[in-house]
Amino acid sequence: MDNFLSEYWDDLSSLFSNSQQRLFWGYLLCAMFIAALYSLKNNTEPLFTKFTNAFGFPHWFSKSAIADYKMIIINKAIYLLCNPLLLGKLTVATFIFEGMHQLVGHRNLDIETPGWIIVTAFTLFIFTFDDFARFYTHKIMHEVHWLWEFHKTHHSATTLTPLSVLRTHPVEGLLFAIRGALVQGISIGVFIFLFDDKVDLFTVLNVNIILFVFNVTGANLRHSHISIGYYKCIEKYFISPAQHHIHHSTSPRHFNKNYGAILAVWDKLFNTFHHSESDVTLQYGLSKNQLANEQTLKKLYLSAFINSYRIIKKRLFTYSLRFSRSKSNTVNEPQ
Amino acid sequence: MKLKKIIIAMAIGSLSAVASAANYADFPVTVKGYQGDKTTSVSYGGQTARHLLHNALKELAYKGNGKPNPELLAQMNAYFSGTAENRGILNPVSKDGFKVAETNIDELSKGKNLAGKTYKGVVSGWPGNQTAVEVLEFFIKKASESDQGFDYVNGMDYPQLISKFAMGAIFYNQAVDSYLDEKLAADVKPNDKPYKEGAAYTGKEHVWDEAFGYFGVPVNGTTVSVNDTSAISKSSKDVFAKADINGNGKVDLGSEMIYAHASYAAGADKAGNSNYLKTITQAFIDGRQLITDAKGEKLSVEERKALMEYADVIKTNWELVIAESAFKYAGSVYADALALQAGIEKNEDVKDAFKSYLHHWGELKGFSLALQTGGKDLGGFAVSLNRLIGYSPVLLGNTQVTGIDSEGNYEQESSIDLNEFALHMLKVQKLLADKYPLQARLKDKLGNLAALSEKLGAGNSTEND
Repeated sequence: MDNFLSEYWDDLSSLFSNSQQRLFWGYLLCAMFIAALYSLKNNTEPLFTKFTNAFGFPHWFSKSAIADYKMIIINKAIYLLCNPLLLGKLTVATFIFEGMHQLVGHRNLDIETPGWIIVTAFTLFIFTFDDFARFYTHKIMHEVHWLWEFHKTHHSATTLTPLSVLRTHPVEGLLFAIRGALVQGISIGVFIFLFDDKVDLFTVLNVNIILFVFNVTGANLRHSHISIGYYKCIEKYFISPAQHHIHHSTSPRHFNKNYGAILAVWDKLFNTFHHSESDVTLQYGLSKNQLANEQTLKKLYLSAFINSYRIIKKRLFTYSLRFSRSKSNTVNEPQ
Repeated sequence: MKLKKIIIAMAIGSLSAVASAANYADFPVTVKGYQGDKTTSVSYGGQTARHLLHNALKELAYKGNGKPNPELLAQMNAYFSGTAENRGILNPVSKDGFKVAETNIDELSKGKNLAGKTYKGVVSGWPGNQTAVEVLEFFIKKASESDQGFDYVNGMDYPQLISKFAMGAIFYNQAVDSYLDEKLAADVKPNDKPYKEGAAYTGKEHVWDEAFGYFGVPVNGTTVSVNDTSAISKSSKDVFAKADINGNGKVDLGSEMIYAHASYAAGADKAGNSNYLKTITQAFIDGRQLITDAKGEKLSVEERKALMEYADVIKTNWELVIAESAFKYAGSVYADALALQAGIEKNEDVKDAFKSYLHHWGELKGFSLALQTGGKDLGGFAVSLNRLIGYSPVLLGNTQVTGIDSEGNYEQESSIDLNEFALHMLKVQKLLADKYPLQARLKDKLGNLAALSEKLGAGNSTEND
C-alpha cells in the first residue's frame, strides 16, 4: 500500500514536474506569458483587468474545472492499477523487430546514411505518425456512437483550462495508452531494424524537439479561454488554439471539426477542417442547454458505460433481426 | 535513517579496508609447527601452470594444415593430458618491451595436465553423449586436422571451442564445484592442519588459493584498472611497468599475468556498467584474510559461514562473467549472420564474413557449454540455450550439424536460413538476460529497443484532444 501511494504521488506530481507532460510547469508559464501578451495587445480594459482576464481566474473555480481536477486525481489511481495489464511499447517494438527479420530478411547493414539524417528521420517520423494516430483515434471517438459516449466526458467541459487536457474517461485513457504503445513500438521496431544503434531522437528537455516547440508556443492554450487564431495560411498546416476551441463549440455547424492535435493537414485530407472565427463568441460543452448534472462524477464516469451498453445492445438486436429476416427469406424463397 | 545506514556502511567499509590486504599476496604462514623457510602461505602455482597449458593448447590449435597431422595431435595432447617435463610456455612469451619471467611450465609447477581436472559430467550441448574430457579430445583431434583452426565445411573454429569450453570445464568447474563448494566443508581440508605433510599452508588456505588461481587475476586485481588489465592480457608494452608489480624487470606469470575468466571479467567491465573483476578479486582477498586471521585454528561456525558468503559472491559473479560473454557473442553472431546474408545476396566475396561468423559462433558455443559445467542443474534454460545455438552455426546452404557418426564425422541436415538463425541469437540474448541479472550486456541487440523506448517515455499518452 505504501508503495502504491508513493508511486501514485510520484505519478501525480510528475504531471507538473516532468517535461514530457503537457502540464509541465515550464510550458504552463510559457502559455501564461503568451496569454498575457495577447491580452495586453487585444483588450481595451484597464491593465489590471487585462491581466486577470489573461489568467482567467473565474474559470479555474468553475464547476466544470473542479470536475476536471477530481477526474485527474481519480484517473491517476485507475491508470496506475491498470498499467501492468496494458500492452507495452517494448513488447510491440520487440514483436515488430523480430517480425521484420522474418518478413523483410536482412537489413542493409552497410548503409552509409549519416547519423544525423537517421535521427532527423526518426524524429519526424514518430512525430508525424503519432500526430496522425491522435487525429484518427479522435475522429473515431467522435464518429463511432458507443465510443463517442466515452469521449463525451471530455466534451462535457463547459469551461476550458489547461487541466481539461486530462479530463478523460478512463476507458478512453486506456485506449490512448494502447495507441501510444502501438505508435511508439512500431516506430522503434522498424527504425532499430533498419538502422540499429544509429537511431536516436532529437530532444530538448527529454522531449521530441517538435513536441517541445509545440508545448512552449502555447499548446496549453488549446484548452483555455484565450482564443488565439493564426493567419489563415498557417492554420492550413498547424491547428491554432482558436481552431481547437471551434472543436469544443456547442454550435452544430462546428460539430466534428478540427480533430487534429498539431498538424491541420489530416483535417484537410478528411474534410473536417475549419478555420478559427475571430468574430464569434463560442460556448463550450455538449450543447447549449447542457444539464447541470453533467459535471457530477457519477455522470462523468458511469453514463458512458450505460449509454454505450444501450447502443451496442440496440445494434446487436438490429443485426440479429436482419439476420433472422434474411434467413427466413431464404427459407421461404420459391424453389 | 538513510544517512545513518550510509554512515554505518562507510564505517564497515573503512574498517574492512584497514583489516584486509590490498593484494592477494604475502599472507603469512599460519600452520602450527611449520618447520620450513617459506615466509608466505600463498601458493597456486599448479593453477597458473594449467592456465599456461590451456594457452599453449589454444596456440597449437591454430597450427593445422588441413590434413591429418599426428605430430601436431601429439603436441596438443602433451599439453592436454600429458605430464612430461620441459613443456615450453607458448603464450605469453617475451617480446620487445614485455619480458616474461618464465619460459617453461615446470618453473611454475611440475607434472600438471588439464585432462585430470576436467568436469566429469556428460556435455548435453554437444552430440554423442560425451563427457567433457571426451569432447575436448574430439575438438583437439579435429583441430589437428583443421585449416589453421577452422573447418569451413562444418562451421567450426576449434581454437575458440577448445579454449572457451576448457575454461569452463576445467577452471570454472574446479573452482566453483570443488574448491568453493565441497572443499569448504568443515571436515574437508581443515584449517588446523597443513594441506599436506610439511606444507607451508593450511588445508583451507590452499583450497582458497587454488580457487583464486583458477580465476586468473594478477595479485593486484582490485587496484589495477580494467583497461590496463585488458592490455596486460595482450602483453602490450605500454602497460609493462604496471604489469611488473614487484619491479623486477619482468612479468612473473604466477602473480602478475591475467588469464581466462579474469580477462573476460575485465573485458565486460571496460564498458563501465559492471564491476565483476574487482568484486570477485575483493571477495577472494577478504576470504583469504578471514582464513589467515584464524591463525591456523579450525574455522568456527561463524567464520565458515562468512567464508561461504564470500564464496557465494565469487561463484555468482563468475557465472555472470560467463553469461555476459555468451550474451556478447550471441550479439556478434547475430550481426555476422545478417552481414553474411547481405553479402551473399549482393554476390560479394564473403570469405572474411564467414570466418568472422564461425569465430564468434565458436566463442558463443564454448561459453554456453562452459556455463553448464558449474555443477548446477540449469534445466530447461540449458535445453533452450543448446537448441537455439545448435551444434554448428547455420551454414551457407541452410544446413546445420545435427550429430556425429560412429567414425567421428559430422552429420548435417537441412535447417533454417541465416535470417532465422540471426533471430535465434536474439532469443539467446533474451534467454540469458531473463535468467541472469546481466550488467555489462555488450552487443545488446534488444537493448537498443529498450533504451529508445525509455527515452520516448510515457509522455502524452493519456492527453485528450
